[in-house]
Amino acid sequence: MSRRAAGLKAWIWQRLTAIYLGLFILFLLGRLVLDPPLHVAEWRGWLGGPLVSTASLLFVFALLLHAWVGVRDILMDYVRPIALRAGLMSLVIVILLGCGLWAVEILIVARVG
Amino acid sequence: MKFRVFRYNPDEDEQPYLQDFEVAAERGMMLRDALLQIKTQDEGFSFRHSCGEGVCGSDGVNVNGENKLACITPLAELKEPVVVRPFPGRPVIRDLVVDMSQFFQQYRAVQPWLIRKDPLPEHEILQSPEERERLDGLYECILCGCCSTSCPSFWWNPDRFHGPQALLTAWRFLADSRDQAADERLDELEGPYKLFRCHTIMSCVEACPKHLNPTRAIGNIKNLMLKKSI
Repeated sequence: MSRRAAGLKAWIWQRLTAIYLGLFILFLLGRLVLDPPLHVAEWRGWLGGPLVSTASLLFVFALLLHAWVGVRDILMDYVRPIALRAGLMSLVIVILLGCGLWAVEILIVARVG
Repeated sequence: MKFRVFRYNPDEDEQPYLQDFEVAAERGMMLRDALLQIKTQDEGFSFRHSCGEGVCGSDGVNVNGENKLACITPLAELKEPVVVRPFPGRPVIRDLVVDMSQFFQQYRAVQPWLIRKDPLPEHEILQSPEERERLDGLYECILCGCCSTSCPSFWWNPDRFHGPQALLTAWRFLADSRDQAADERLDELEGPYKLFRCHTIMSCVEACPKHLNPTRAIGNIKNLMLKKSI
């Protein structure tokens, strides 16, 4: 990550993803409240639609990016020993990537299955 | 009126401690007057103060958990026992006297002076009333340190994060129509620490005895940075 990415870009990404997360959550809540899917099949069909699955995938990545910027900030503030900080940051990256791949798998299964 | 005052003399005390004092409070008395009374009771008691009217910025202390200037804090506003401590996060030199070197280093780091590239004109560099207005709420800072020492981000990274005071000053010069080094100033603020350790906690705004708003100044810097990078 360049020096530039470390400051301004991280800040902008945090804000942009926050906007998308907010909008998507409203959209999701709206659907669940106004027209709740009654069966697993209906739920899967909805989630498997091209628009919803793309938007969900984008949501997952926005969430991971947002979480990364936030956790990175916390680690930078509170964890001073550089080795420990690097270790924790790597651990967070692995966990976030794992979550991302898992979400992708869920969405693919919803679409194919 | 009851006071609990932070005491620490590194030559004699192993640990800092709180000492109780009783001060005869009179109408209109400020905290600084009470500290002066305490000093007459115990001459070894140390604190910084000078002008006594909120201009010099010397007597910033932590009172009942909030950073304030002792000279403009009326005793009538304070709950007893009044707990007076030095600024949090700063190394204590003695009693309420703290080492503010890092704070002033951060101030110096933002180059708090006008930078001109054009040759200086024979006369003053004129500003329109609107250009001058942009400096209101920025130039009034007296560098007392109440804001930066109440900022958690400055507690954790006082060596790398500029802190609210220095960033307010940075914006004061970025906003000045006579300054010609905006790009260099912004480049200097890049990276994750100097500017971007601010998490908009806004303790600085609450603490400022001059009612200035460093958080807004920091937001303005970020916006200008964004504008210039698109």
